[in-house]
Amino acid sequence: MSNRSSKLGKIYIVIIFLLLYMPILYLIIYSFSKGTTMTNFRGFSLTHYGELFHDKRMLAIFLDTILIALLSSVFSTIIGTLGALGISNAKRERSRQTLLSLNNILLVSPDVIMGASFLIFFTSLKVPLGFWSVLLSHIAFEIPIVVLMVLPRLDEMSPSLINAATDLGATSGQVLSRVVLPFIQPGIIAGFFMAITYSLDDFAVTFFVTGNGFTTLSVEIYSRARQGISLEINALAGIMFVFSLILVIVYYFIENHNLVSRRKKDKLGVANQ
Amino acid sequence: MKKSFRAMFYTPYMMWLALFVIAPVGLIVYYSFFNISHQFTFDNYATFFRSGTYLTMTANSVLYAFLITLISLLISYPMALVISKLKHRDLWILLVILPTWINLLLKAYAFIGLLSHDGLVNNLFELVGLPAQHMLFTDTSFILVASYIQIPFMILPIYNSLTDISDSYIKASHDLGATNWQTLTKIIIPMTMPGIKSGVQIVFIPSLSLFMLSRLIGGNKIITLGTAVEEHFLTTMNWGMGSTIGVVLIISMVVVMLFTNTKRKRGRN
Amino acid sequence: MSKTIIELQHVYKKYDDFTALKDINFKLNQGEFYTLLGPSGCGKTTILQTIAGFTDATSGQVLFDGQKINDIPANKRQLNTVFQDYALFPNMNVFENVAFGLILHKVKKAEVAERVHDALKLVQLDQYANREISELSGGQKQRIAIARAIVNRPKVLLLDEPLSALDAKLRKDMQYELRSLQQNLGITFLFVTHDQEEALAMSDQIFVMNKGQILQKGDPVDIYDEPINHFVADFIGESNIIPGHMVRDYEVSFLGHTFECADAGMRPNEPVEVVIRPEDLVITTPEKGKLQVKVSTQLFRGDYYEILAYDMQDNEWLIHSTNATTDNAIIGLTFGPNDMHVMRYNETEAKFNSRLETYEE
Repeated sequence: MSNRSSKLGKIYIVIIFLLLYMPILYLIIYSFSKGTTMTNFRGFSLTHYGELFHDKRMLAIFLDTILIALLSSVFSTIIGTLGALGISNAKRERSRQTLLSLNNILLVSPDVIMGASFLIFFTSLKVPLGFWSVLLSHIAFEIPIVVLMVLPRLDEMSPSLINAATDLGATSGQVLSRVVLPFIQPGIIAGFFMAITYSLDDFAVTFFVTGNGFTTLSVEIYSRARQGISLEINALAGIMFVFSLILVIVYYFIENHNLVSRRKKDKLGVANQ
Repeated sequence: MKKSFRAMFYTPYMMWLALFVIAPVGLIVYYSFFNISHQFTFDNYATFFRSGTYLTMTANSVLYAFLITLISLLISYPMALVISKLKHRDLWILLVILPTWINLLLKAYAFIGLLSHDGLVNNLFELVGLPAQHMLFTDTSFILVASYIQIPFMILPIYNSLTDISDSYIKASHDLGATNWQTLTKIIIPMTMPGIKSGVQIVFIPSLSLFMLSRLIGGNKIITLGTAVEEHFLTTMNWGMGSTIGVVLIISMVVVMLFTNTKRKRGRN
Repeated sequence: MSKTIIELQHVYKKYDDFTALKDINFKLNQGEFYTLLGPSGCGKTTILQTIAGFTDATSGQVLFDGQKINDIPANKRQLNTVFQDYALFPNMNVFENVAFGLILHKVKKAEVAERVHDALKLVQLDQYANREISELSGGQKQRIAIARAIVNRPKVLLLDEPLSALDAKLRKDMQYELRSLQQNLGITFLFVTHDQEEALAMSDQIFVMNKGQILQKGDPVDIYDEPINHFVADFIGESNIIPGHMVRDYEVSFLGHTFECADAGMRPNEPVEVVIRPEDLVITTPEKGKLQVKVSTQLFRGDYYEILAYDMQDNEWLIHSTNATTDNAIIGLTFGPNDMHVMRYNETEAKFNSRLETYEE
């Protein structure tokens, strides 16, 4: 690659990265503003953060959002893993493809449709709209992504591993707990992580099924934003950004550490040949 | 594996499939045949296909979705290309994905500030000498903001596709005399088609039904199929009509998927 | 006195559109090294899987130590398998892998440690107990897979092409190790391979298979010297096979000449095939030779020259010679009566064996 085109490329990324992060940085900068709108920066202040921490309603909603995310992810990871096991065990290629297509429907559906259809579903079954309808909906749309994270690991696993375990005396349960689950663990963790992400980020589905009492962060921000600008929301953005940044850095270091130790082992293996 | 053991296993997943995938779609189709007085009728469909409003709305939604997909593709592909050649590309791609973890609403909210009459963008324009623009509540800003939001979703599948291409293909191409541009257009882009199709799927379909964004950024001026569904379900309580539009959306989703699904090669295992 | 440890009686394995095993019958004695030899798809792995319990026979009996085991699940059968891709559990280290079967059978911790170390010593990897699987080379993984199987003291060890992924030198070394291991442990080995050299080197008995059937059973020398038909002759070692006629007992005719040979028991003038091994052909002058051929190509194989030649009827001849000859020369080939082996078409194994007994010492 000629130097000129790679320089051009680098300039391009810098511009795009700036554009990607500008809105977020903009939000965060204004979270420290003394003023009340995002138009004039009026001196540095932490008042909005103070507002945020005293806003009991917001804090409660924040906790509710996290609760829903964690709870739904636990259930969706379990059900999704079971589903992935089922799909990978499918004897015919056709059944497998059908199951996969059905699985992916929720992933590609417009969230409006999901929201509307779940709303109809819950009201037909007379499920009260609130915490439970939100929880069930979140579990529902997280399951497909868990399946997509676990399935590749399952496919990677050579079937002779299961035969070997059986050959050595393992029952089906032991094969599952001692061989299969440990092998697919990275996929399960990735699935859990993605499930949490999808839950935290969801707006439309929650918006449809939340009824009047219960609400999550996204829905609350939507209502407040419709009413106008409140820099307290900027403070919230600041906190969430730092949180995500920490997660990314931690995740990157864990991945790197795994990779490095795996490479060291590979090198040792080569030397032994 | 014993059959009874297996059955116990797969029941939760199968139940989920039945209750949350098949049933809801079925319910939407069912409700699309009922009008607001709960009578069985084809009226909803008739209204939809005869009404100029609905048809224009559909055409507009498709147009918006198309533009959004196109813009995000044009921005994302070079981005993915450059990142895939960088040294710490894993870190860079994580930094690209990081914005997706910031709540969608917050980003939309940021744009309200940025694009408002006294917002940053207009301030920059003034600095350069351009007149202040009325940006919020316009078509253009809606499309641009939506593209912005979708970029990370478009980049990721393309990036994955790019990193899957073995270096030796590029070397072979140069060895046979191709320039960088020819290698890009004749080798790299065709080989990353699955990634591109995947990205298009992930971006186009949701873009058809954006309603939150259209309300916040586009105001009540921009009406998409999404906003119409939301109104019928939550405001006018005309679930029948809402479901009809839902059916239209579902069908378009299937059509897009058929066009963009990569057929897995049928080989012997 | 060896007793029968495994017996298959009229075993068939049928799938929807194809039959993998047709009427398989054999007995395995305790303490011997058996090899199932055949090309890909011949059914040898299917037999192994049926014995191990990973697949069920469509019909027929599988007997272990006199008991029918068709309905006993794989995890309860007292034999162990060494897999082609080793199947070592990546989430466990070497010790945990080898100990896996023992722990499942609730063996006490102290005994587990002792038996694992003994098994590792047998495969010369005692120092590797704490290594991760990813750190091992191919040959080491293979030996760990063997250790993991034998630590359970099975009466029979099934090995599914375990050496196929190793390079040539390592393969040869492992052949020695496996053979001496089998003899030290005194257990029965049932080895599956498509490599006839390997089968000849290690086995007490070879079962040659093709298309779901066992074509010939015998010890390596017998199978090599007296293959029952064209397929076996061609599959085992190199061979020159020429169609001919059995004029009378001990006299065979091919390529227009009659030769004295060492086989009998066939009908007069019966069409037969004659096998001559390349190493049994001696190069001489065209006048002194029983046949005349023209040299086409010569390849140096290190310990001999492999010479490809054609006769007047365009039949291909393969010759092994310690010396090279001249390219495109016309040479003579000579051989003795015992160097020819005559095969009948479509002779069953039973008839073959009884016919040979009538004239062999």
